[in-house]
Amino acid sequence: MVVAQQQKAGTFQVLVGKIDDVLQYAIGDPLRYLANWGRLYSLWPVHLETACCSVEVGAAAGSRFDIERFGTLEAFGSLRACDLIIVMGTVTRKLAPRLKLIYDQMAEPKWVIAMGACSITGGLYFDSYNVLRGIDDIIPVDVYVPGCPPRAEALIQGIVLLQEKIRRMPTLSGR
Amino acid sequence: MRMTLESEYSPDADRIMAVSLGPQHPGAGHFRIRLWLDGDYVVKALPDAGYVHRGEEKMGEYRNYTQNVPHLERPVILDSSNILFAYSLGVDELMNSKVPPRAQYLRVIMSEINRIISHMYFIAIQGLFLGHTTMITWCMGDRDFWIDLGERIAGARVTFAYIIPGGVRNDIPEFAIEKGLKTCDWFEKRMGEYEKIFYDNPMVHQRSDGVGVLSRDDAIAFGATGTVARASGLALDVRKDEPYSSYSDFEFKTPVLTQGDSWARAYVALLDMRESIKIIRQALKGLPQGPVRLKLGPQPRVPAGEVYSRTEAARGEMSYHIVSDGSPRPYRLKIGVPSAKNLRALPHLLKNVHIADIPVIYWSLNYWPVEADR
Repeated sequence: MVVAQQQKAGTFQVLVGKIDDVLQYAIGDPLRYLANWGRLYSLWPVHLETACCSVEVGAAAGSRFDIERFGTLEAFGSLRACDLIIVMGTVTRKLAPRLKLIYDQMAEPKWVIAMGACSITGGLYFDSYNVLRGIDDIIPVDVYVPGCPPRAEALIQGIVLLQEKIRRMPTLSGR
Repeated sequence: MRMTLESEYSPDADRIMAVSLGPQHPGAGHFRIRLWLDGDYVVKALPDAGYVHRGEEKMGEYRNYTQNVPHLERPVILDSSNILFAYSLGVDELMNSKVPPRAQYLRVIMSEINRIISHMYFIAIQGLFLGHTTMITWCMGDRDFWIDLGERIAGARVTFAYIIPGGVRNDIPEFAIEKGLKTCDWFEKRMGEYEKIFYDNPMVHQRSDGVGVLSRDDAIAFGATGTVARASGLALDVRKDEPYSSYSDFEFKTPVLTQGDSWARAYVALLDMRESIKIIRQALKGLPQGPVRLKLGPQPRVPAGEVYSRTEAARGEMSYHIVSDGSPRPYRLKIGVPSAKNLRALPHLLKNVHIADIPVIYWSLNYWPVEADR
C-alpha cells in the first residue's frame, strides 16, 4: 500500500518535473532568448577614457570601422543607462577607485571589456609606481582584447565575442 | 560628487553650487574639472589632472636608450613621431652622431604626417562638442587615410616607433612615396570642403566666435604654445625659430590668427595642415639617397653630459632634458609637453562662461590629458 503510494507520488514528481522541463523549453527559453537577443545588439558603453587606447575606440566609432554596425552605440549617455565598460588602457592608482565606483553604480546586467595590454597585465607600464597591473583585481572582466593599442578590428572582434557570450547567458538576471 | 565650498564664496554660498565634471563625462575624458556654478554661469573652475600619470620619467631611468623608444611615444599616441623626434634629437646630440640626410627627410615626413593625424582628431572632436556630427564622421574617416600612409611607411597603425636615435627604423617603400603624393593632392581638395561645411558654417560661428578669448598678453603670461599661441597672435614655431633636422630646406609659413577664440584655435589647425602638406610634398619629391640609420647596437653607450632638445609637435613645443652619466641608461629624463603648458590658461578661460561652452573651450586648447600627465 505504502509502496504503491510512494510510487504514485514518485510518478507525480516525475510528471511535475517533465512539465517543468516542457515549460522551461516552451516559455523560458524563448523568453531568455528574446531578452538576450535584445541585450546583445544594444550594448551601450560608458564614456570612461582611461588612457591612450581611447584613440582607437574613437577610430572604431568613426566612419571607417563603425562599431554601430555590430550593435554597439557610441559612448555617450548616462551611467545608469549603460551596460558595458570598455576599459581603454592603463588604469592608474588615482583612477582605480573611480572605475570601481562607476562599475558599482551601473545597473545589472553589465559587462566589461579590458582593452589593451595595460588593462590586462599592466603592459608596458608593468614596473611603473602608479599603474594597476590588470583591472581584474578590482572588477570582473568578460572579454580581454590584447594589443598595444589593439587595432579597431580587434576591438570589433572583442565585441562580437561578448555578444556570443551574452547569447549563451543561462539566466534572465545576467550573472 | 559635491565638494565643500571655499570660504571666499561665503556671501553667496546659497547661490553657488560646486560640481565635478569628469572623469566619467563625455565632455572631459580622463580629466576632471571642479566647477563652482552660479546658475548657468561658471564662477570658478579648477582643473584636476593626473588621472593618467604613469611615471614615464621615472621609467625612463631604468630602461636604456633603445628600450625607452616604445614607452615614450605612448603618452602622445596621436602625435607619436614628434615626441620621439625630440628624444632622438637629444640623444643624437649627446652621442655626437651625424644622422644621414635621407633619415632626416624621412623624420620630417613622418612627423608632418603625425601632425595631420593629430589635428584631424582635434578638429573631429571639436566638431562633436559643437554638435556638428558631419565633422567627426568626415574627419575620423579621412584621418585613417593618413594612418594608412604611416602604416605603409612604419608598419604599425598608430604607434609608429619610427624615429629612433641614429635615424629612422626602416626605409620608405617606393609605393609609399607615390601614395603619399596622391594623398596630399586628395587632401588639399578635401580641406576646402571642411572650410565650407565647418569653418564657414554660421552655427559653428555662433557657438565658437568670441568664446574663450585668450588675448595676446594673456597667452604670453600663461606660457601658451602651439595652436593656442598662434591663434592669439603669437608667431611661435620651433620649426622656424630654431630649425632642427632639415626643416631649413623647406618652404613653409607659420599661420597666425589674432582673434584668440575657440574658432581661431580650430582654424589654425587647418592652416597648419596646409603647411604640413607643402612640407610633405617637398620632402617626398626631394628625398636624398643613402642610408637611413646609424648602427648603434642594442645598447648604445652615451657619453656623460646634459642636453635640452625641442621640436614643434602638433600641440606646441615638445622638449626633453636628458642628463647622462655615461651609463647605458639616462640619469634623468625630463619631458616638457605642450598640453601641460596650455592647461594653465584653462581656469582663466572658464570664468563667466555658460556650462554648454565648457567642452568647446576645454577641447579648443587641444589638451590631451595622457600627454599632460605623462
